[in-house]
Amino acid sequence: MPLTFAQLNQEYVIVRITGQDKVRAHLRNLGFVENEKVSVIQSIQGNLIVSIKGVRVALDKSLANRIMI
Amino acid sequence: MEIKIALAGNPNSGKTTLFNQLTGSRQRVGNWPGVTVEKKEGTLKGENQCTIQDLPGIYSLSPYSLEEVVSRNYLVNEKPDAILNIVDGTNIERNLYLTTQLLELGIPTVVCVNMMDLVKRNGDQIDIDKLSEKLDCPVVSISALKGQGTKEAALKAIKTAQAHQVPRMDKVYAKNVEAALEQIEAILSSSVDNGMLRWYSIKVFERDERIHEILKLKENEKKEIETIIQKVENEMDDDSESIITSQRYDHIGQIVQYAVKKKSEKHALSVSDKIDKIVTNRILALPIFIAIMYVVYTIAMGSTSISIGTMGTDWANDVLFGEIVPNFFDGILTSLHVNDVLYGLIMDGILGGVGAVLGFVPQILVLFILLSVMEDIGYMSRVAFIMDRIFRRFGLSGKSFIPMLVATGCGVPGIMASRTIEQDRDRKMTIMTTGFIPCGAKMPIIGLFAGAVFGGSSLVATSAFVIGIAAVILSGIMLKKFKAFAGEPAPFVMELPSYHLPSLGNVVRATWERGWSFIKRAGSIILLSSIVLWFLQGFGFTDGQFGMVADNNTSLLANIGNALAWIFAPLGWIGDMAWKATVATFTGLIAKEEVVNTFGVLYNFAEVSEEGNEIWTLIARDFTPIAAYSFMIFNLLCAPCFAAMGAIKREMNNPKWTLAAIGYMCVFAYVSSLIVYQLGGLILGEVTFSIWTIVALALLAGILYLLFRPGYKPKTEAIDIQKISIAK
Repeated sequence: MPLTFAQLNQEYVIVRITGQDKVRAHLRNLGFVENEKVSVIQSIQGNLIVSIKGVRVALDKSLANRIMI
Repeated sequence: MEIKIALAGNPNSGKTTLFNQLTGSRQRVGNWPGVTVEKKEGTLKGENQCTIQDLPGIYSLSPYSLEEVVSRNYLVNEKPDAILNIVDGTNIERNLYLTTQLLELGIPTVVCVNMMDLVKRNGDQIDIDKLSEKLDCPVVSISALKGQGTKEAALKAIKTAQAHQVPRMDKVYAKNVEAALEQIEAILSSSVDNGMLRWYSIKVFERDERIHEILKLKENEKKEIETIIQKVENEMDDDSESIITSQRYDHIGQIVQYAVKKKSEKHALSVSDKIDKIVTNRILALPIFIAIMYVVYTIAMGSTSISIGTMGTDWANDVLFGEIVPNFFDGILTSLHVNDVLYGLIMDGILGGVGAVLGFVPQILVLFILLSVMEDIGYMSRVAFIMDRIFRRFGLSGKSFIPMLVATGCGVPGIMASRTIEQDRDRKMTIMTTGFIPCGAKMPIIGLFAGAVFGGSSLVATSAFVIGIAAVILSGIMLKKFKAFAGEPAPFVMELPSYHLPSLGNVVRATWERGWSFIKRAGSIILLSSIVLWFLQGFGFTDGQFGMVADNNTSLLANIGNALAWIFAPLGWIGDMAWKATVATFTGLIAKEEVVNTFGVLYNFAEVSEEGNEIWTLIARDFTPIAAYSFMIFNLLCAPCFAAMGAIKREMNNPKWTLAAIGYMCVFAYVSSLIVYQLGGLILGEVTFSIWTIVALALLAGILYLLFRPGYKPKTEAIDIQKISIAK
């Protein structure tokens, strides 16, 4: 399921990042890679603050929807 | 021997603090050639032969952002003698991602692990020696904030450079990838420098879009490489770029496991997370933000007992530039017995003009201090996140918000703050609309008309902000439908640094950089134009004789104003005030605060207070409410002052776009004022139905059309839709 459906403060594992473009590469450079643990700290109408590799990253809904957990 | 050290690291890793530590005040700021990314260079304290080149904060060396491209071009083409890579110890895994890329460049590198004190406080341990062993380069631990170990790190980098100690990391990637890289290296070996071979082969393997422009490979070589890449991709069922990224992270995972002991991977929320739970809360986020901004503006620009900024500005206007400085120069000039013309030029022209601008410095500095604190503690990136949802609706991203916030103080640093927006069209749109925000210098214009024509109603000031914001929103929607701006704003991804106490040094530096751009123009463009203006309004032809004029209605300035006043007649600038309003608008281009001063001069008051109370009755006699409002709107929205235009030119970095931005602002201002005057006046019964009413209606219809027409659809999207329908 997409990251936007995740429960708050629960750890998930990234299965896949969909799409094929620069933004995907940027997400990967920020640490969003397959098999990485991720949890959602805050959600405002689909816009998320997530914790990945010990860092907090803010993502908008369109991006969060492309991260499958 | 002169040594050049490049300072590289992630954003928020403490790189700026380290750079300031190492170079102190010996910095040179410029731009990287051809782009608007800031370039900072400095000389290492105590080592005159050593230059530190600060690279932009980056996460990787991919070709996707301007900062990353600038950094890697520098590293690859200029080949610094050493790289000093700063790594945030509290967040080492993500930071090492860049480190492993830097180590592939074949340049001597020293890694300095920052925030070691925080690492220890968290109960974690980083084994520097083990890290050094795995990375095959010297590793030192520092605390940039406290200045511990920073000099040693730089000296280590010099030593490493002199010894030309190039790191050779263990094999990072899986066997088949390494084999493929070796094959590519063999093909490239004839055209690439040996030390950079590995980096180039990895980039070629990733199909880096910019590398082929540099390498200029032959067709058969390209084909050969493509088969090598595809073989690996088929084996691993992933694209080559993803393979490299994943395996790089795997390798880093191993390094971290070997060299870092984490206390425990508990999922307790940090203090920073707890703060975020409140300040980015779905319901509370906006009210908290508004409350904070209310306090900020009250302190900087309000008129309460805690409004330090206003007190400073009042003192500067009334005492410093009202008494002390004029008295000082008066004393000197009188004792020197200079002639009247020169006396008038210095006292009225130069001191009057420059003083009016410098008087704002206290308010602006207080505002910038507070904004810098908000930035330094990490709140600004949250603000961008909160506002993104709202700004996206009219085609801007949350990152456009910070420039606009800064622009409420002064448009120049506001426009400069647009640099952090990665996507080109988002940045251009932000630059074009930031000038609509009422800056500190536009406040007196609002104050003048609110007081003179509208009985001091606070609604006028509020409406000025509403007009500014509405102009931003309407422009966002309209511009977005043009081809040049079409497409979604870049998706929002932003690292949110942990909240931390502000560092005095960073706040002072950030405030100074912004404040200085405001002060600098007082000494340059405003000085010059004050002289020109003084001449134009003091001299003229009387009875065919050129000379100083007593009545400035006969001055050169009046002639110019009268000659151009017809332009603004449709906006309701008619009768006695027409030429005065025209002239004031043009002097407003020098600095918006000049508008009120100009009215003061034109109504024959040598000196007026900030809001021009002395001329209120005269203004009220000449301006009908609707004409006053039309004048206000035009001056709030039209081309900003010369200094801000200069900033637009620098940030657009393209003459056509600069003209487009300024032209757009002028046209938008003219059209808005015309519609408000003609239609508003008709409703109020001040204006009669005329050809201009029809023009106003037509323009209004035009705006509505631009707002609601279907916008330009980028081609790529069209293709995507086709693909989908075929797939069905």
